[in-house]
Amino acid sequence: MERRRRVSNILSLLLAWPPPPPPPRSSLPTIWERAEMGPYPFGSGTAASGWTDAESSQQSSASEIDGLLVGAGYRVRSSDLRHVAQSLERLESAIGGAPADHLAAAEAVHYNPSDLTAWVDSMLSELAPSRRPPGPLPASPTAETWPDPTYFPLPPQPHQMAVVAAGSRQREEEEEDSAIRLVHLLMSCADAVQRGDSGLAGTITDEMRIALTRVNTGFGIGKVAGYFVDALCRRIYSLSFSSSISVAGSASEYEILYHHFYEACPYLKFAHFMANQAILEAFDGYDRVHVIDFNLMDGLQWPALIQALALRSGGPPFLRLTGIGPPSPDGRDALREVGLRLAELARSVRVRFAFRGVAASRLDDVRPWMLQVVPGEAVAVNSVLQLHRLLRDPGDDAAAPIDSVLGWMVGLRPNIVTVVEQEADHNKPAFLDRFTEALFYYSTMFDSLEGGRCAAQQLQQQQQTTMAAELYLQREICNIVCCEGAARLERHEPLATWRARLGRAGLKAVHLGSNAFKQASMLLTLFSGEGYGVQEVDGCLTLGWHSRPLISASAWRADDNVAPPPDNQLFSSSVTASVPASTISSSDNNSINF
Amino acid sequence: MGDMILPLEEEEDMKRRNTFSINDNVDLLVEILGRLDGRSLGVAACVCRLWSSVCRRDSVWEALCNRHVAGGGGGPGTRSVVAALGGYRRLYRLCVGPVLDRLAGGPGRAGWAPTREEAAHLSLSLSLSLFSIDCYERLGGPRQRPASLLFLCKPVNVS
Repeated sequence: MERRRRVSNILSLLLAWPPPPPPPRSSLPTIWERAEMGPYPFGSGTAASGWTDAESSQQSSASEIDGLLVGAGYRVRSSDLRHVAQSLERLESAIGGAPADHLAAAEAVHYNPSDLTAWVDSMLSELAPSRRPPGPLPASPTAETWPDPTYFPLPPQPHQMAVVAAGSRQREEEEEDSAIRLVHLLMSCADAVQRGDSGLAGTITDEMRIALTRVNTGFGIGKVAGYFVDALCRRIYSLSFSSSISVAGSASEYEILYHHFYEACPYLKFAHFMANQAILEAFDGYDRVHVIDFNLMDGLQWPALIQALALRSGGPPFLRLTGIGPPSPDGRDALREVGLRLAELARSVRVRFAFRGVAASRLDDVRPWMLQVVPGEAVAVNSVLQLHRLLRDPGDDAAAPIDSVLGWMVGLRPNIVTVVEQEADHNKPAFLDRFTEALFYYSTMFDSLEGGRCAAQQLQQQQQTTMAAELYLQREICNIVCCEGAARLERHEPLATWRARLGRAGLKAVHLGSNAFKQASMLLTLFSGEGYGVQEVDGCLTLGWHSRPLISASAWRADDNVAPPPDNQLFSSSVTASVPASTISSSDNNSINF
Repeated sequence: MGDMILPLEEEEDMKRRNTFSINDNVDLLVEILGRLDGRSLGVAACVCRLWSSVCRRDSVWEALCNRHVAGGGGGPGTRSVVAALGGYRRLYRLCVGPVLDRLAGGPGRAGWAPTREEAAHLSLSLSLSLFSIDCYERLGGPRQRPASLLFLCKPVNVS
């Protein structure tokens, strides 16, 4: 539990410090940054501009004077950089801890600080003669060991137990420091990528890989960092951004991962239950109802609605479901299979049911006439984590697909539109901003996965489910980090932005009501993770982990004050249908017609 | 006058006529068992074959589920719906039982303390929703294991 808290602590520490601004060419980096960046031969004033330069500079003699620090007046050998950096830290603490009169010694001996190595050593030996370096210093200057900044020399302890406790605490602190360092490296790498400095980015990638070995990648920040390092590597080492460098698998693989994500954590269940509650309330009093699902997947949302409609007072209505989904590659009609199962369920609880599948690879390929909305029926549009795929870059002037889709959706005059979206801002124009946001968001998400898992750790099935859920999230991470332009689909935007956008499109917000809130809270009591929390924001509900909202559910309806678009947009069939559609209906005499 | 010394068989016959065996009165047994809670009902099912068959009756479990809802369980349509989805016994085992257990475990976790009626009503509707999802998954055929209710399982400590 403590370690999990520590993840968010680390990240909140990080976000309290703004990412270090990229050093302009004329200013010098701190000695830590210099130590990180590796040796530069004297005279090469420019930063590594490509792969070959970095390699050649690494191969140059390590005993040469460091080029960048010469400009500031210090002569330090490149091989001594780490030692000097560490000694400076100790010197700082020694000066801070030394009694005041000691510093104002009568006999002041002056050393020339331009020979930085010798100066630091002599200062240290003067101020703290009894203190010895706490452990073996890194033997070779090229060893990629990170001198532990908190590893200050401890006064000798007589008790064994204290040493042991200090040892384990030290290990924890070391791990935490390695984790903090890893996060810093991630930020620097992302910054380098944003500036287009692929050489530096590549160097940092190597360091990150080594840092990963020092951190426990089984949980917490180590695991998340591992995924982000992987995503950055994919981005840096790819030939072009538009190639499919993200973890694109087949659609059936995606369905399996989605199903495991559904089982492993409550976010999708919460989404489905909230949407169903809003739809149920909106359908009150109607005898013919039509639900349009923007992404059918396995249809797991609809059994609960069918059951609730079966039990509603006044009897069940005639339910039509139109499910939109990607076309199946291998000849099987996945949409139709789902429709058959839902029809069988509806038949067993005596709800008149008709299903129609619309296969479209992208949501903006769908035209309203394909949905066959009948006048007089109540229409519900359900979008769970789909609308953000239609967005484009914020500064892009060209019409984004979201506008056309929202246009025809409003034109249907829906009774209710349920929108569930991730509560994050992953559509910022600058790469570093996106990266930071994604790091924070997915760390919290992974935290919550672990939180739900700890209670049932021994169940191997549960572990498999959690791992598959993590792979599902990994796809999103890779898409956010690696892809640009039309290939980047995971353009999450926060609830406030969606509110504005949907309001502009002509939709009015519907409050979700206290019933939904209570149902959500009860759903959460069933999940073993103690950190989940539901919040209500202006009629919308958000589910989050430890007060960080991660997913939001909201309901909308067509605004009566906005004039609907002219009818020819809705019912024109001038666009030829290239998408197949299948219809399944069940009637009271228990026959399934095709 | 005096003691009547009865032959042994008649004495036993009288004893038998005066004793009462619950196993002879199944309706009474159903009434009594219908008032037990879930765990006790499970224990009672292990007593003997008769009790086990009584405990398998859906009406007993229906009474148990409905007892938790003020106002008797949501109307006549509920019974047919639940029967179609798999029966009250399965509903209790998979959904209502675990929900009630979890609710009893930590009332303050939800951040909102429900009244007993609210909790009962909501737990039934939530259980029905989860139950319908489970039924739907089972329709998927033998290759698809119904797994969406796994989160309700108590953690098994095999250490």
